[in-house]
Amino acid sequence: MIKSQMELLVSLQDLDLMIEEAYEVEKFGFPTTGCDELKKAREELASRISKPFLFRYKRLREKLKRAIVPVKNDICLGCFLKQPTSVGTRAREDDQIFTCENCGRILYWLE
Amino acid sequence: MKKVNLVAHFNEQLFKTDLKATDKQGILEELVNLIVENKFIRNSEIVLEMVRQREKLGSTGIGKGVAIPHGRTTATSEVIIAFGRTDTPVDFDAIDKKPVNLFFMVIAPPNDSENTYLPILGTLVTTLSHAETRKKLTHVQSYQEFLGIFTEKIYD
Repeated sequence: MIKSQMELLVSLQDLDLMIEEAYEVEKFGFPTTGCDELKKAREELASRISKPFLFRYKRLREKLKRAIVPVKNDICLGCFLKQPTSVGTRAREDDQIFTCENCGRILYWLE
Repeated sequence: MKKVNLVAHFNEQLFKTDLKATDKQGILEELVNLIVENKFIRNSEIVLEMVRQREKLGSTGIGKGVAIPHGRTTATSEVIIAFGRTDTPVDFDAIDKKPVNLFFMVIAPPNDSENTYLPILGTLVTTLSHAETRKKLTHVQSYQEFLGIFTEKIYD
């Protein structure tokens, strides 16, 4: 069960990308008749996320298709800028939003 | 759609011919756990949530005993493919209503720079549409043998 706000936000983006890409996978023969059900699940998930988190995500999604990007070896995989190690340490401990100073995307540390 | 060399994306640690689960949810959990236990992904909850929700869009059981659960998640930085097989086919709500024994789980990052995710899905669907390939996968014993199935033929 997902508990943290940051993880819920990551899951929300996963669903948004899934909904956007449904047409692409349909071409391979995967049925997509449950799109409305998936959108309902997306709204239910969104209702579990605090307003400040959701607001920042929505604002970024207006500009960027991928508002949240993974960070690997302290590198933002949105713009490939190295993030300060201290930020990574805090991000792993605190359920807060940390953004890349260069590209502005929300960061999710993989390790 | 460009064809992809699937072999380059397989990994021996993610090859399991004796899945134990007996239902759809169990299969999804077992494959996600295989990926997490082998440290390809850290957070199992996020990935499990994504593949479960994906099944709401429509079953990834594409018929003829094959399922390809898939999706993008921010919890990975690379495309991951896990292969699993059950001895006894499992009800996976497949489009032909038949039980499934061959599973390929494909997990991709939100943005894969080489744009391989969709071509991987397409290549898997095409390759697995061949009855001979499915038959070989049903009996494959070793990882090397498994790789051989995907290298011996170039499909149109």
